Amino acid sequence: MKAESGRNIHVTGSKVVGVVSCVPKKEVRNEYFHSTFTEQGVTDVIKMIGVQTRRWVDDNVSAGDLCLAAGKKLLNDLNWDPSTIDALIFISQTPDYRLPSTALTLQREMKISQRCIAFDINLGCSGYPYALWLGMTMIQSGAASRVLLAVGDTISKIVDPQDRATAMLFGDAGSMTAIESATSEDQAFFILGSDGKGANNLIIPKGGFKDYTKANDARLKDKNSACLYMDGGEIFNFTLKTIPTLVNETIEFAGLTLASYDYLLFHQANLFMLKHLAKKIKCPYEKFPININQFGNTSCASIPLLITTDLSKNFTKQGAQVGMFGFGVGYSWASASIDLSNLKVAELIEYESV
Amino acid sequence: MSEFYEGMAEIFEVNVNQISSDFDLHGADAPWDSLAIVSTIALVDDCFNIMLDGQSLTACNFVSDIEALISSVKSA
Repeated sequence: MKAESGRNIHVTGSKVVGVVSCVPKKEVRNEYFHSTFTEQGVTDVIKMIGVQTRRWVDDNVSAGDLCLAAGKKLLNDLNWDPSTIDALIFISQTPDYRLPSTALTLQREMKISQRCIAFDINLGCSGYPYALWLGMTMIQSGAASRVLLAVGDTISKIVDPQDRATAMLFGDAGSMTAIESATSEDQAFFILGSDGKGANNLIIPKGGFKDYTKANDARLKDKNSACLYMDGGEIFNFTLKTIPTLVNETIEFAGLTLASYDYLLFHQANLFMLKHLAKKIKCPYEKFPININQFGNTSCASIPLLITTDLSKNFTKQGAQVGMFGFGVGYSWASASIDLSNLKVAELIEYESV
Repeated sequence: MSEFYEGMAEIFEVNVNQISSDFDLHGADAPWDSLAIVSTIALVDDCFNIMLDGQSLTACNFVSDIEALISSVKSA
C-alpha cells in the first residue's frame, strides 16, 4: 500500500528492549499560576488542556541531563556494557548547546566507545517514532547492532510565563530507549510525513540564525520573540486533519485492526485534543492511555513517558502490540506499529539535582 | 443546527436560548479567544464533519459568520 499521510516503511531485524524516562523532582501545580492569570483564568485554560501538575527542571538542568540519568539507569538495568553501544541519537528541540551536538556529551558521560555514531536530530512532538525508525533502520542496514535513543525536552525553559497559551501546558522530561538487533520476524511499520507550511504556527521567532519577527506576522504583536509562540487553533486544525488518517493508514499498513492493538500511544498534546481524536478514530479509552494530567505536554518525551508510567508493568510482563503517534511542531508527524513483547525494562525515575 | 447551538452555548457558558445567528461573538458574554475558537473547530467537526481553519474563525464576528463558513465549506 502507498499511504496518503506520509512515507510508509517496513523495518525488520530489531527490537525495543528497554525504556527509562526521567522527570525532574520539582512539581508545579496549577495554583502556582493563579497570581499571573487569576484563579478563573487558570480554570478556563486547564479545562481545555487537562494538565493538573507538571515537572519543571531547575535552571542548571537540561534535557541532556535528564536523558543521561535515564541512560545510566537503562544500561545498568539491562546489564549492557557501554562499549557495546554502536550509535546514540539525541532527539530534542532544547539541546544543551547550539553546538556541539548533545549526543556527543552523552557519549562522553556514558563512557561509550569512540567507535560510536553520535548525532542530534531537531524534532519535537513527532520525534519518538522518527527516532525508532532511524535507530531500527541503522540496525537493519548493518551499521549498528545496539542503538540508544535519547529523547527529551525542557520546554519550560522557552515558554513566556505571561503567555496563557503555553505557560501552563508544558512539562519537562527526558528518556532513553534501547534497541538491538533481532530476528527478521521482529518487525515494525512506520509512516513519516512533513508539512513545512505550518512552520510559523509553532515557532521561537528569534534565537537561531534567522529572525522571523522581520516577516511582520501580526500574530506576534506583543509576544516575546525569544519564547515559544503557538497558534493553538492552527495546530488543532492540523492535528484533526492529519492524524485520524495517519492512524487508520498505520493500522492498515501493519496488516492489523484496531482490535489487535493493546494500546495506541498518542503524543500528549492537550486533553481536549486527545479526547476529540479518540472519538474521531473510535478508539476505546482503555486502549488510549492519557497522562498529560500528571506531566503536561512533554514534547518528544511524551510517548516514552506513557510507556514508563501507569502501564509499564503491562509492557514488561505481558508485552503489548502498540501504535505510536507523534505530531506537532514543523508540522511533522510520524507513527509506528510495534510489538513491545521484548521490553525488559520500562521505568520512570526522578532527577535529583546535584 | 440545534446540536451546534447547544455546543456554542456550552462554549460560551450561556443558556442555549441566547444563541442565535446574530449572537455577538465579541459581546460581554463571549470571550472569542483561542480557547473558544479551538472548541468551535471541534464542535463543527463533531456536528458537520467539517474542518474550519482557525484564522477564518478568528475573523468571525457573529454566529451567522460561522454558519456562513460552514455553508461555504459544505458547498465547496
